[in-house]
Amino acid sequence: MTSGMTSLAIYQKEAWYDLVSVWRTPGFVLPALAFPLVFYLFFGVLFSPSGSGSQAAYMLVTYSCFGIMGPAMFNFAMSIASDRAQGWLTLKRLSPMPVSAYLLAKMATSLVFALLIILLLFSAAALFGEVRLYQHQWLGLALLMLLGTVPFALIGLLLGLTLSDKAAPGVVNLLYLPMAFLSGLWLPVTMLPHLMQQLAWLWPSYHLSQLGLKLLAMDQGHAALLHLALLLVTSAGLTLLCLLVFRRVIGAK
Amino acid sequence: MNPDVNTDQTLLQLTQLHKSFAGKPVLSGVDLRAKAGEVLCILGPNGAGKTTLISAILGLIAADSGDIYLLGQLQQGASRSVALRQQLGVMLQIGSLPATLTVAEHCDLFASYYLAGYSATELVTLAGLEAHAKQRFGRLSGGQKQRLLFALALAGKPRLLFLDEPTLGMDVEARRGLWQQIRQLQQQGVSIVLTTHYLEEAEQLANRIMVLHQGKFIASGSPSELKALTQYKVITCCSALTDAALLALPGVLQLNRQPQGVTLHSSHAEQTVLALLTADNTVSQLEVSQVALEQAFLQLTRGDGTEAVGSEKEEQAA
Repeated sequence: MTSGMTSLAIYQKEAWYDLVSVWRTPGFVLPALAFPLVFYLFFGVLFSPSGSGSQAAYMLVTYSCFGIMGPAMFNFAMSIASDRAQGWLTLKRLSPMPVSAYLLAKMATSLVFALLIILLLFSAAALFGEVRLYQHQWLGLALLMLLGTVPFALIGLLLGLTLSDKAAPGVVNLLYLPMAFLSGLWLPVTMLPHLMQQLAWLWPSYHLSQLGLKLLAMDQGHAALLHLALLLVTSAGLTLLCLLVFRRVIGAK
Repeated sequence: MNPDVNTDQTLLQLTQLHKSFAGKPVLSGVDLRAKAGEVLCILGPNGAGKTTLISAILGLIAADSGDIYLLGQLQQGASRSVALRQQLGVMLQIGSLPATLTVAEHCDLFASYYLAGYSATELVTLAGLEAHAKQRFGRLSGGQKQRLLFALALAGKPRLLFLDEPTLGMDVEARRGLWQQIRQLQQQGVSIVLTTHYLEEAEQLANRIMVLHQGKFIASGSPSELKALTQYKVITCCSALTDAALLALPGVLQLNRQPQGVTLHSSHAEQTVLALLTADNTVSQLEVSQVALEQAFLQLTRGDGTEAVGSEKEEQAA
């Protein structure tokens, strides 16, 4: 892929136009930004016992996690499934564009949305939720959530490579919403039945939120390294699966 | 022809290309050669293997056996180098590009892929969409979309250009405009491989037409050579003779009666006409015409393809 001929301009333009194209799709932008903010204001701020800000802080972590998952999974799954179905991906692959430019562009879009969601929720938390954190906690949480988009982008990529453009949105929702609930992103995981608490370990969103909560000393108390290792293993496994599927999809059509 | 163009240069060559899907042969021994400045038109009914052939050439699928040379380089499997892709242009039948990006933005993006290609502005001009540069792809008409895709195929100033049904959905005027552009490219020495359902398009543009049927080329030649392959002519007239009497005329292979007259297919048109005029002095509206390529094409691809092309026996049997 890196033949020295591919210039930085391709990567920049690919990323810019992916973002522009997504930004001009209100059906994507509005739910992606509004849902986490509205849910957080409702459950994290409005229903929070006033004065302490501790529930607002806890929910800030879990709703940030909920917020960054959506755009990563949806942008990858839906636009890749659609580009495949429409033949646009085939045409791009026949051009000299490196596949990495295409995938990194989608990653960049996911990161921009993640950053916007983080800024929106952090502002809401500080302004209305009486959440007071140290500077390193704000920064650490923001950085963690940005890096945390990776496994969800990979899940989206896998779905985008395997599903039809018609099936992709439905399947992503079918995965996204239960995964968020079972990872304790809407209700604290400790409020879930025992079996569900154990099943939470399956989901990357659980481990990401626990790492975030650890920054605020509000986690369940498992080792940070364990959560981190499970996130890395999940991401590595997903990467491998994506590579295999990518070869098969590319070879078959 | 541009004197700078070396027309001996072979830009695409296939030898004995085979490809099967699940044990069913789709390409069975395809040979093909396209030179610089040549428009090669691949004709064939649906299912003839056109898509598989183009996919194998472009490296979207790997052929089972046979050699593919692109720009003189032997290709391995289903991978095509970036350096090669810089010099290829491809227009496929595409459902949609990202609908929310404008014409100018699509041109800007595609122009950035190529080292020595056209600028975004030049691509908009090539597409003839200057007045629609700021229009989103989703709001273009079918013909305008095709013109944009055609321009994107030219983004890298390709030496070898693949056009799959390029004028699909275009009105007559737009179609003629695109033909003009294809002729200009041909004069610049671009080698063009074209698939089309419009036979007029093949007749107008092709130096050579190759007819693909059940994974093999069953006929190849210039449009006029291909016409000559079909050995009969069509005679239409109004005659008082009975069908039996008409069929008994020398050279007549087939007869179709229509309200406005009768159509005869003849292997020896001159003799048929002479005998017809001798037998019936009331004949009117007599017309002798060459078989249109469209009919030739139907004739070529009818049957199992192993028969001689345009076989009279086959026609008689029908």
